[in-house]
Amino acid sequence: MMLRRYSWPVLAGVLAALGIVLELVDIAVGDRWPNPMAQVITAPYSTASHRLTTQTLRFDRTRVGERLIFESPIVGFGPVDPYAAIRAFLTNGAGLVLLALAGLIVFPKRARNAVERLEAIPGPAIAFGAGLVLVLLTLGVVTLLRFTLLFLAVVPLVLAVVLVAALFGVGCISLAIGRLLHDRLHLPEVHPLIAALVGALVVFDLAVIPYAGVVAFAAIAMAGLGLTVITRFGSAGGWSFVDLDW
Amino acid sequence: MDNPLACARVRVLLEPFVDGDLDANVAEQVRRHLVTCAECRRQHDQAISLPFRLKALSSPAPRASFAQDVMRAVAPARSMDRQVWTLLAPEALLAGFILWYLSGLEGLSSIASGTFNDLLGLAGGSLPSVPPVDVVLVIALIALTCIAGYHLSLLIRVAPTSLQSRRHA
Repeated sequence: MMLRRYSWPVLAGVLAALGIVLELVDIAVGDRWPNPMAQVITAPYSTASHRLTTQTLRFDRTRVGERLIFESPIVGFGPVDPYAAIRAFLTNGAGLVLLALAGLIVFPKRARNAVERLEAIPGPAIAFGAGLVLVLLTLGVVTLLRFTLLFLAVVPLVLAVVLVAALFGVGCISLAIGRLLHDRLHLPEVHPLIAALVGALVVFDLAVIPYAGVVAFAAIAMAGLGLTVITRFGSAGGWSFVDLDW
Repeated sequence: MDNPLACARVRVLLEPFVDGDLDANVAEQVRRHLVTCAECRRQHDQAISLPFRLKALSSPAPRASFAQDVMRAVAPARSMDRQVWTLLAPEALLAGFILWYLSGLEGLSSIASGTFNDLLGLAGGSLPSVPPVDVVLVIALIALTCIAGYHLSLLIRVAPTSLQSRRHA
């Protein structure tokens, strides 16, 4: 009974711990083989902590991290750096969670529409397919714009719209994952933002899986982008050319 | 005063009476008869009950081509579902061709870095130099953009609708 009451905080805690452990592994693995997520999320922290720069001193005055680096128990792997893993979780993880929740807070009705369409069959497949097509479309458009002088300045705008769309989509996917966990694990009723937070932690954990994380995160971001576009940012009406035909 | 109607005549008039198709004078005579005749009143009650009225309606015979028409109406949806996924093949082919034409990911990243540098230059006030581009590459890019746009429109069409829009409908 007690466990059921606190099942959401426990689940969030387990997912956060799992994320930190996965980052720890990411740091230890480093860039031994192509591991882009480790480079982007965790590796810069582990290497930066060894450098004595003005920048480092300004943001890391305690320098606790340098005393918490251990040798790897497995030969051939890099150092075990739990401090860097926690720091990476608290920065990248918090960033992802906050951005995902911001989308839901600012556009709750649109988020609901989008999640409803994602939960319907075959919502996830269509969203992923649309995301894949949109990546190709964006590549084509951006490359075409690059060969013009007049529209070159539009390129950052196109990329910004794609980024915002993907972030909104990832927020909706996080909420859908939270709702799915609620149904499957028979968890008690909770505020939707808590469910979305847990969903965002699942997304983060998937993203920091060594080697496979980059593929998983790309798939989620593409599905998010596709979901946002096919639902026209979660509008109830969807895409229609009726207004143009008068 | 009008002659009172006989039961046989009233029973013939019951159906148009219930439908409100009789003129006022005849309808009044039927109404007066119903007040006095229990059997005709029972028949009237039956006539106004919904199941009875539905039963009385004759359903039109289906057209000879009905089954074929239904199958034809269903078929485009299936072919569209197939088309939605098969369009990935020409897109992948075009993307592969473009990548090959640009000398792989290296060429693509050089375009990206070139764009970034040009944008920085633009922000600094200097006009960027537009790289000369092959017509074949431009055609391939336009084809990829058009196919991807069409593909996206198909995906939007087959995507499930939201519960809210279904509620509005």
